[in-house]
Amino acid sequence: MLVRFNAMADNSYETKAFAAGMLNPAAPKPDEIIGPNGKAADKRYNVYRNNVTVSLINAVADIYPAVQKIVGEEYFRAMAREYVRAHPPKSPLLFLYGQNFGDFIDRFEPAKTLPYLGDIARIERAWLTAYHAADLAPLDPARLGMVDPQRLADISFTPHPASYIINSDFPVHDIFLMNRGFMELAKVDMSNPQALMLTRPQTDTRLILLSVGEHVFMDAILKGKTLGDASALATETDISFDLNHNLQMLLASGATIQINLDGQAI
Amino acid sequence: MSNAVKSTVSAAVMASAVAAAIAGVNLGTINDAHAAKEKCFGVSLAGQNDCAAGPGTTCQGTSTIDYQGNAWKYVEAGSCETMSVGDNKAGSLTALTRDVPA
Repeated sequence: MLVRFNAMADNSYETKAFAAGMLNPAAPKPDEIIGPNGKAADKRYNVYRNNVTVSLINAVADIYPAVQKIVGEEYFRAMAREYVRAHPPKSPLLFLYGQNFGDFIDRFEPAKTLPYLGDIARIERAWLTAYHAADLAPLDPARLGMVDPQRLADISFTPHPASYIINSDFPVHDIFLMNRGFMELAKVDMSNPQALMLTRPQTDTRLILLSVGEHVFMDAILKGKTLGDASALATETDISFDLNHNLQMLLASGATIQINLDGQAI
Repeated sequence: MSNAVKSTVSAAVMASAVAAAIAGVNLGTINDAHAAKEKCFGVSLAGQNDCAAGPGTTCQGTSTIDYQGNAWKYVEAGSCETMSVGDNKAGSLTALTRDVPA
């Protein structure tokens, strides 16, 4: 089976012939490729093919250091090789690569014994995506004070493009921080589910651990639900839900950029 | 459904929570990441310069000599220009021409 570099902007016959089989070690060298003075090019093509595969594995390793730390380098590179061959880049920008590595890990049979690993990968991908998201100023808390108090339940918020929520059945916040060297290694309770939010209001990506109520509230807010609906949903889920505390987190996290009312920015 | 949902948090409760939140929120927490750090040139050891831009970018960990003048590292705000790295060399908030690889 031929694997195409479908990201290549150049769709010429020569490019397709060269790219076909680039990630498939069993594919023969395309006939169109020859060495200088008409010499054989099989070794050259194999060297090039190996370099492409290794550099893409290196890119996956750069994006997912915590996953690599958890499974070890040898395991990681074997898994990444499978991934690279099944999912070649769709963009020439390498920092966008590996978007579905977490989903790949979920289905990767040897990783079934580490059921949290896919979520760790999703955190690492979101971390880098947040890093490259547009630099937009977070919502100024004073703007919330200008809303007509009678209309507060009807306002909604525009999410900051660097805001992401990840919800897991496992303590992935702690596992991620420990394997990125941000937290002391310690025993984690695998029966403790964690949700978290990533934001990047300024230069650095931030990770905020969310309680059950905070997760329901922030998830609803970032999905564009009104403040009234988000508060009600969170109250239904968590009877100890504290609206004042959650609004402070919403404002301090820099997760939103704008208040909307009746379909218009205010 | 939506009417029933909205009735669970009254307008008065919401207004007081919003007022309390705005009064209580620590504005510094929004800006701290920015305020607490500054880019400091010429103080980073070889290969230890900052940047978390990921693969395919060429900044993080690419400086090749110690205290390279055009490589920067995040440091605590206000501390950069007081940082001495020996031989009368100090950090700078702008790129330096000293210690640049040939």
